[in-house]
Amino acid sequence: MGTFIQLVVDGLSTGSIYAALALAIVLVNQATGLINFAQGGLAVLSGYVAYAFVQAGLPLVVAIILAVALSFVLGALAERFLVRRFERGDPDTAVVVTIGLLTLITGIIAVIWSYNNLGFPSLFPLTSVDILGAVVSVRSLATTVTIVVIMVVLQLLFLRTKLGLALRAVADSPASSALSGLPVGRLLMVGWGLAAALGAVAGVLVAPQLTLTPGMLDTALVYALAAVILGGLSSPIGCVVAAWAIGVLENLVAVYVPFIGHDLKIAVPFALIFVILILRPQGLFGRKVVVRV
Amino acid sequence: MRNPLSAKPLSVEPQSVKPVATGNRTVRIVVLVLVAVVLLLAPLNLPPFANQTLVRIGVYAVAVLGLNIVMGYTGQVNLGQIFFVGLGAYVTAYGVKQGWNILLVFVLACLIAGVVGLLVALAAARLGGLAIAMVTIALPIVGVPLAKRLEGFTGGSQGISARFTDAPDWSGLYNDQWQYYIILLVTAAGFLLARNLVRGKYGRAFGVVKENEAVAASMGVSPYRTKVLAFTVASIFGGASGFLYLAAVQYTSPETLSFGHSISLLAAMVIGGAGSIAGSLIGGAYYVLVPLLTNAVDPGLTTVSQGAILLIVLFLLPEGLVSLPRVLRRITGRNRDRPGAPQRTVPAPAPGAGSEKQADQHQTEHQAIPDQTDQQQTIQHQTGRQDQA
Repeated sequence: MGTFIQLVVDGLSTGSIYAALALAIVLVNQATGLINFAQGGLAVLSGYVAYAFVQAGLPLVVAIILAVALSFVLGALAERFLVRRFERGDPDTAVVVTIGLLTLITGIIAVIWSYNNLGFPSLFPLTSVDILGAVVSVRSLATTVTIVVIMVVLQLLFLRTKLGLALRAVADSPASSALSGLPVGRLLMVGWGLAAALGAVAGVLVAPQLTLTPGMLDTALVYALAAVILGGLSSPIGCVVAAWAIGVLENLVAVYVPFIGHDLKIAVPFALIFVILILRPQGLFGRKVVVRV
Repeated sequence: MRNPLSAKPLSVEPQSVKPVATGNRTVRIVVLVLVAVVLLLAPLNLPPFANQTLVRIGVYAVAVLGLNIVMGYTGQVNLGQIFFVGLGAYVTAYGVKQGWNILLVFVLACLIAGVVGLLVALAAARLGGLAIAMVTIALPIVGVPLAKRLEGFTGGSQGISARFTDAPDWSGLYNDQWQYYIILLVTAAGFLLARNLVRGKYGRAFGVVKENEAVAASMGVSPYRTKVLAFTVASIFGGASGFLYLAAVQYTSPETLSFGHSISLLAAMVIGGAGSIAGSLIGGAYYVLVPLLTNAVDPGLTTVSQGAILLIVLFLLPEGLVSLPRVLRRITGRNRDRPGAPQRTVPAPAPGAGSEKQADQHQTEHQAIPDQTDQQQTIQHQTGRQDQA
């Protein structure tokens, strides 16, 4: 029982990282209809930026806040000067643009900081607590709680503020929003900025555990994409639930199903996707999209 | 009813873009013969390294070609093409180890990849656009650990090597030349088959499914079956490419089918030109040459320069390198009167574009080529036909 609880909490914690990235992907997708493959790359860059600030002698919390703020700016700039040009064109081309961005960011990181692993200080204490006889690390719990808080804040932002309303309007119909006087371009930049900031949070949360490398979040991105499809592209809460489910499930399967083990556990979410998509093509929580001819 | 179908080839035919196509038939045949002669004689006069590079271009051009059929022509995002390349390579390696006839091995490499592709497609094609991307992303992601696990068949992480392309004595060729001819033969056959496929009935079905599935269904083209067909054909090309890969490299490991390579293939396809046969060849060349180039410049900057090159090309030529002559002609030939070329300057309609988008694209088409009455008439003629769709 002790191991079980431990596995579940650790699963929730890794699932939270996937969830943050998945939320970022949904944000971008809702705003611009794209899947941003560079989301993980941007997050890793934020991790490195935070690392640089720490090296410069800033306290960790300040460094992280600065890095998240910078990511917001970077995401907005990426939308304005890179993606904007391709938003109306062939979606395949736009996807490849984000792949190009990912390659570019990875390359830049490698040039500045090299491919070697760098240790990143943890925001949370590395102690553990006893819950029902299980040893649970404080970091796992705190990571999960952080993501929950961010989720609630985002939900409030989207449902309770004027900015959120405008963002939703642009996502719904850029043309009508423009006609009602909304600054569509700037709102798209805000959407991308928010997504990048969210990714940055994921980056700094996971960096102490994985240590910083340019490809740190490549696997996490794949899991996040799986969570996005599983939860449905239109449902932020669905994505988070799916991400947690994936995190917990793969942890449990790796330990309790010897045939799968740690090397094949990545197949679990995809097997799940395969089954669920065939039964429910719009995702677990997504709305069915009806296209008019 | 036939209008959208008959309008399609105008925008997808890569051959019509080349200046030679605007000349008469004899010129075209002469050029083709010249190209064939150059291709046949090249390996005898080139150093081994150049031959090996050409061989690898052929290998990846076939993989990109397959990807182009399912993605460029049919509009189904496929992130798992490299899985079929790896599968073909493993089947080939296994078959050669078992001492099977090499033709049988080739057929098996294509067939097994095709069957697996068919099975995946039967499930994946039921789903809408991005869901297909997710199912296909799983192929290399799951494929790598699976290849490591199935040691008896794949040699595990060590990989598996097999030599079967040493030049026979009677040919008097070096190994690299012999490999070149094998790959030239298969690649040329593959490109010819693909060209005929996309220009014929099925190619038009691909085009309609890409533009609008509802329209396709209303015309009696089943989107589901068309997608499954395109995906299966792409997998077969992937398998063939895997066979060629082993012929060229003589070794394969789980690394061959890693997700990163799949993404690079996708980038190569878009860079070369989505929905273009010639673009697939350019894509294969891009896939092989750009890493060579960036490595030669500065190995430390390989990744960053690859990303930069990718973005720069897309910025300048969003429709891929294959559109370069067309774009150049649009810039330089605006004032020249060339009655032979008018329709070819019309950009291909953006796939998935709704009626609104098409409408404003027509506007830009008109603006792009002002004050040339005969050209404008042709364009109006064409756009008129599209509007009926």
